[in-house]
Amino acid sequence: MKGIRAFVCGAGIVDAAGIGLEKTWAALRSENSCLKPLSIFTVSHAPALPAGEICEALPSKETVPRTHSMALLAACETLSASRLLPEAIVLGGTTGGISTTETLIRSGETEPEKYRYHALGSVATYLARVLKCQGPVISVSTACSSGTVALKIALEMIRRGRARVVLAGGADALSRMTYYGFHSLQLIDPAGARPLDLHRRGLTVAEGAAFLLLVAAEEPPEGALAELVGSGLSCDAHHPAAPHPEGAGARAAMRKALADAGMTAEEIDYINLHSTGTVDNDRVEAKAIRDLFRDPPPLSSIKGIFGHTLGAAGAIEAVASVLCIARGYIPSNVGCTVPDPGLGLQPVPRGQSRRIGSVLSNSFGFGGNNAALILADPSRRSGDMGQKKMMQFSVLGTACLTGAGSTAETFEMFLRGEALYGRPDLATIRTDLSAGSLRRLRRLPRMTLILAQAAQKTAGMAETASPGGIFFGTGWGPLTETSDFLEQLFASEEQFASPTDFVGSVHNAPASQTAIRLKATGPNITATGGDYSFEQALFCAALVTQEGDDPILVIGADEHHDLLSPRLDPSSVAGGGADGGAAFILKPHTFATGLRMVPAFLSYIPEGEDGIVPLIEALGGPERICDRFGAVFAGISATTRSRGEACMEGFLRRTGFTGVIFDYRRTTGEFAGASAVAAALAVDVLSRGVLPPRLSGKGKAALDGKGILLLGLGEYVTAVEVIR
Amino acid sequence: MEEFIEELKRKIIDTLELADVQPEDIPTDGALIGDELGLDSIDVLELVMMIEKDYGVKIENREVGVQVFRSVRSLAVYIDEHCRRTQR
Repeated sequence: MKGIRAFVCGAGIVDAAGIGLEKTWAALRSENSCLKPLSIFTVSHAPALPAGEICEALPSKETVPRTHSMALLAACETLSASRLLPEAIVLGGTTGGISTTETLIRSGETEPEKYRYHALGSVATYLARVLKCQGPVISVSTACSSGTVALKIALEMIRRGRARVVLAGGADALSRMTYYGFHSLQLIDPAGARPLDLHRRGLTVAEGAAFLLLVAAEEPPEGALAELVGSGLSCDAHHPAAPHPEGAGARAAMRKALADAGMTAEEIDYINLHSTGTVDNDRVEAKAIRDLFRDPPPLSSIKGIFGHTLGAAGAIEAVASVLCIARGYIPSNVGCTVPDPGLGLQPVPRGQSRRIGSVLSNSFGFGGNNAALILADPSRRSGDMGQKKMMQFSVLGTACLTGAGSTAETFEMFLRGEALYGRPDLATIRTDLSAGSLRRLRRLPRMTLILAQAAQKTAGMAETASPGGIFFGTGWGPLTETSDFLEQLFASEEQFASPTDFVGSVHNAPASQTAIRLKATGPNITATGGDYSFEQALFCAALVTQEGDDPILVIGADEHHDLLSPRLDPSSVAGGGADGGAAFILKPHTFATGLRMVPAFLSYIPEGEDGIVPLIEALGGPERICDRFGAVFAGISATTRSRGEACMEGFLRRTGFTGVIFDYRRTTGEFAGASAVAAALAVDVLSRGVLPPRLSGKGKAALDGKGILLLGLGEYVTAVEVIR
Repeated sequence: MEEFIEELKRKIIDTLELADVQPEDIPTDGALIGDELGLDSIDVLELVMMIEKDYGVKIENREVGVQVFRSVRSLAVYIDEHCRRTQR
């Protein structure tokens, strides 16, 4: 049997050249830079630094932040070429609604309704709602590789039979946060980005959105523009902001992409570089390319034209690569006048019209989150990739942090039937982490490191053992760093911005800190889908791992922040604010045995639907559900309680399930990472074989060998099986 | 100058939250950045902000930064020279 391939049957883009593919195409052909002094907001210094901003008005039906508007425009263009509707959406980004949030914070706005589009995950949810997509919707944030990582996840969804039509890409708008943040890192070139140039001095911040429509087929469908043939992920595990000096992670990502595509380096016709124009990035990428390619093919960075669109960059460059394949063109490296001889590369000086069969496109982000992908001419003969499967996980180690304290304290309180809500006092949690290793780390990265280390310990892993990958789910990211950054910025009338807070504020910072600590150089993905972030991280893990991989670390955690949490997540005010999370060491298997965790279902549910029918189907029908599970741990957020309870009723009515129902947020407290804690409780219950007496309502109840079904019910419906 | 160097060392400890470090642990003439104190490029930039805030002295790019942050003494000299030029 032939393998399922992922063909590109649509593309859409919004960037500094304007709205739509043809404007981007014209910019690529004319070889003119679209960068000019920032004007969408006023800045504290003159002249404003160059930026890649969209100068056209962004038409939108409702008032949403720029990121959302751009994303919808690009998504609609992507879908316009075919009559297909997406069964799944994967979106990468780093800013979400921050451009709106920062003005609200500056004006002291406290009304949560105004902040409803703040979350990174709200962009994908908005698209799903407008496009009426009922299916897996995943948001990832791996800094400047987010868009590429999103495409990798979409590719695996198709290969593993989880969706046949996937809309995937990235979106990020310009914001004060990123403008002043990169300025504080002295990484902005006042002359505009000059990738690979001898005199380059940094990047140019920019905005944009881009998508590909990936369609599953064995042979190229009519009108296919390209094929996504492979992608590779890696992590430097070296430094929160600087790349690995030898380019080890960049090289690993490219090598994995080639292996994933079943191609050799010689088969690549063109490399679309990440090359941002910073001194270090360009040096390291050049070194990695020279190591991997004896005689590198034509290569260029298009960031001199469009700037660096951060989380959207990988998607924008994927769309540009698709255009180049479909129309036969190699774009030039605009901005480079004198190639840096130290790099040992010759960037394409002038655009060339010629046939290209394959493109390697690189994206590297803060935290050493690297991703590379390969796009090819759809008529190119493809190797047989065989059928791949979603992975299941044997649970090797578990740890959690709750208001009750550490793992042991949490489980003990839970068994006694006591509430766990509150905020763990991190100072009293015993760890082997030195003061030095916790320096610069605020609440969320500290929790993440503590959890990671405790989970490794319970798995019996040596202190020096490295997990094969890290998958982190967080609804809100590092709120303390975000708040501190903005507070200082506004208090100083935009004179001072802390580079430490900026680097720490990115959603993937905790996962990258954990990777540095554990030397975990495998895939490092941060999923950020609100209350379903942990489930999304687990889903991503099941999509990108394979049989034989080393055990991975999956973490879900969120921090409560007194100023921001009540505004961003209204559910968080219940009980005075709770936070915490859980971590798991999981061994990926096609068919796991023993105590195991199986991500079974993940779907955005449009208003008016309850999503229960497809959920029950994915779980094998009512009979299997009643037979297999002794308890349901239900995650229903206070913000979507009536909707969640309606889902629960529908589930009970359609399955006839009579086992224990545990509405866990009433015990764990209200925070996005609560579902990870619930998963840890489920693992603990299952390993003991009995439910806490108060939970079952009828004394110490044995589970009779049955498992626990972890459901998320609300705007999304999710299911994770915890069974043995 | 020695007094100013002591002041800077205390500010470095405060700014960078070097919990286990005393002023005498920071070399006056030896390398400030690197493995000894575990400081890196982000710490340098955090200090750049502190110096601009507290002394009104700007260190606007990485090339200048590399020279200025060789040691606490070179930092003190640079601030002293530029502070005088601009403010006194």
